[in-house]
Amino acid sequence: MKKHRKNRNVAITGIGQTALSSHKEDQNQVEMVHEAVRSALEDAKLTLDDIDCVVHGNMELFEMQFQPDMWHALGSGAYGKDEYRITTGGTTGATVVCAADNLVASGMYETVLAIGFEKLQEANTTGGITNMADPLWFRHLQTGALTATTATEMIEEFGEKRARRAAMKYRIMMDKHAMLNHRAHRRLGLEYEQMEDLMKNSPQLVGELRLIHMCSQSDGACAMIFTSEDSVKKKGTAQPPVWIRDHETSHREETMSNLFGFKKPKMTHRDCAEKLFKRNGIKDPVEYFDVFEMYDPSAWWAVDWLREFFLLKADEHLQLLESGAFDLDGKCPINPSGGVIASNPIGATAMLRPAEAAMQIRGDAGPHQIKKNVQHALASGFGGTLWTVLIMLEKDLNW
Amino acid sequence: MKYFGTTVADIFNTMPKRFKPEEAKDVDIVIGYEATGPGGGKWKATIKHGTLKVETVEGELEGCNTMIQADAETFVGVTLGKITAIDALTNQKLRVVGDVKLLMTLLPKVFIPYSIIPEKKEVTARDILSTVRDRFRADKAAGVIMSFGYDLAGEGGGQWSIIIKDGQCTVKEGLEDNLNVKMTMDASTYVGMMTGTLDAVTAFTSGKVKIDGDMMAAGATAKYFNKYVDPNAQEAEELLSLKVVTSVGMRFATGPVMGKWFAGLKEKKLLANVCPSCKRTQIPPREICAFCHVRAGEYKELGPEGTVNNYDVVYYASPDPLTGVVRDTPYAGIFVVLDGATPEDAFSFELKKEDIPRLKKGVRVRPVWAEKPKGHFSDILYFEIIS
Repeated sequence: MKKHRKNRNVAITGIGQTALSSHKEDQNQVEMVHEAVRSALEDAKLTLDDIDCVVHGNMELFEMQFQPDMWHALGSGAYGKDEYRITTGGTTGATVVCAADNLVASGMYETVLAIGFEKLQEANTTGGITNMADPLWFRHLQTGALTATTATEMIEEFGEKRARRAAMKYRIMMDKHAMLNHRAHRRLGLEYEQMEDLMKNSPQLVGELRLIHMCSQSDGACAMIFTSEDSVKKKGTAQPPVWIRDHETSHREETMSNLFGFKKPKMTHRDCAEKLFKRNGIKDPVEYFDVFEMYDPSAWWAVDWLREFFLLKADEHLQLLESGAFDLDGKCPINPSGGVIASNPIGATAMLRPAEAAMQIRGDAGPHQIKKNVQHALASGFGGTLWTVLIMLEKDLNW
Repeated sequence: MKYFGTTVADIFNTMPKRFKPEEAKDVDIVIGYEATGPGGGKWKATIKHGTLKVETVEGELEGCNTMIQADAETFVGVTLGKITAIDALTNQKLRVVGDVKLLMTLLPKVFIPYSIIPEKKEVTARDILSTVRDRFRADKAAGVIMSFGYDLAGEGGGQWSIIIKDGQCTVKEGLEDNLNVKMTMDASTYVGMMTGTLDAVTAFTSGKVKIDGDMMAAGATAKYFNKYVDPNAQEAEELLSLKVVTSVGMRFATGPVMGKWFAGLKEKKLLANVCPSCKRTQIPPREICAFCHVRAGEYKELGPEGTVNNYDVVYYASPDPLTGVVRDTPYAGIFVVLDGATPEDAFSFELKKEDIPRLKKGVRVRPVWAEKPKGHFSDILYFEIIS
């Protein structure tokens, strides 16, 4: 068993994000990062003088800008401070949060500013994702992040009608959430009556993965501030502190094709959830968590992954979805923000998950705030060949 | 009916001017357009071997290979880039019957993008005078009683009076009696002074402005008002995007394990290595078994035939990662468990295009090799279905 001990508790004390959209031609990257940083500082009622260290992250291959943290120093406020750059692909934002948590927990810094951003309009995502693949063999086969393999498997397991309806129920539910989130990029105003029409007529991207199922490409930035328990108690906070209870990261060997043999390997999502929940004594995650902000790149993946993250069996995840348990007013709402399907500025995407989950715990998410008390939140990041990061947040420091 | 400052008809009227015949030499297509709702209509564009014919259509659109449908507002918005095409396609406000990739590949190639030439709006004296009340600074004019008139000649001219009294400012058309001061000039001189292109003192000394009455009052008027800001001036702010193409050649060392794999391809062999501990096969071979953390040194030839266990039939036109050229769709990637492989180890490759209609889980496939393999991924042309 690997050693895993947190030296001291860490709270999220400031959250800022830009509006998320397909175009941000009125700002360059530095200015966009600055907008998020400023809004996080205003939220925490702090100034840059209170920040000891900056953690900065995005997916560098997309914008083809190596060392963007150097260029961004004027916008990030990192000049003269310690700074770390993190670039773990899709999981970047979540890894930035884990790193910021660890840096404060270690005792090295009192207050850390974390930044995740992406300007996908300036980027070439297919080029970036292709160049991520093993250059010796897989690069010539890799064509980006689109796949219908999960759709095919779900249709085989649950039948065409139920599987397609589940994916559309999830998609329209996400849009209904996004309609309440004024920062969300794609807010389409979909209704459940359109389900049959969309599942038939939305253009096919890959097999049964249709345009309607897939996430967007967005521009945007997110910034968060992390402070030690000592600081929170001595100096107080402008917002209710949200505590980071624990986090876990799971990777797998770097080939995609052996996910599709006759014998399926255990998914990273399940592996990650099992480790995290075991360490924290969570027996029934659907019962325990009041919200789950999940990194959901497509409706098919989202539905399938819910089974893995919540350690469910057979069609339990479909039953919960169909019965409304994941709706905004359900037992465990998924992505009140509208999720990645609505907004996907990749380097910020996995940070927006814990950021939005923390806002739900604070109770100030806005129109997409869950109406009941949110005590325990889960957030996930995803990237590469199904890498997974899971982060647990708590309202009270009582575990 | 205008949307985003233009009409659907203008997009089609400018099509011949925007057409690039040299890019359309090999194109033979008839595209039907239907813009619904107010300002809509039907059009047909026939592109054939470098020629273009655009016609309006009454009644049914016939003989089109591809149909593009949207309400007029969406149509204009997408054309101008004000509405993202992918979003409009997603929420079905924009529908394409036929080949969707046309929108993203062919049309941008054969047409110069449509744009509106901004109508430069000239500021008039009336525009400026209509802002006088909003610009009035009551705090600076406390206790001031004053009236002044403008007699503006030429285009956009007229007569106006501005009266300041009891901390209020009113603007009236015509010249009031008993003005403290009256200023006579060309309307263009007034606009120039107010927008800062003409210096007021110079205008007066050069005789462009005639002042009747209290000269001091004329000079004092400025302090009772905020400066006029030309609302069009903001458009002069430069928001540009820089276009950069990056293309670099790369070299990668294979090392001995992948070297063995490529050497195998030269002999038309698919070589896996075997984990000495869990006995699983790994294809292509990997240096160690990631589960058992041991070196896998033994090699075994797999297949060449195998069974398809999952697949992706791709309709979305994405660029070939090696050339940047948009691929012909559909194409299919398959996950094959090769004969002799352990059940957890699949191999992925492209399927022969003609076999896509017969592709399903469980079909048997085999590789088709290049005539002279040279230890490169192009040695396998594709996999084909064994009938």
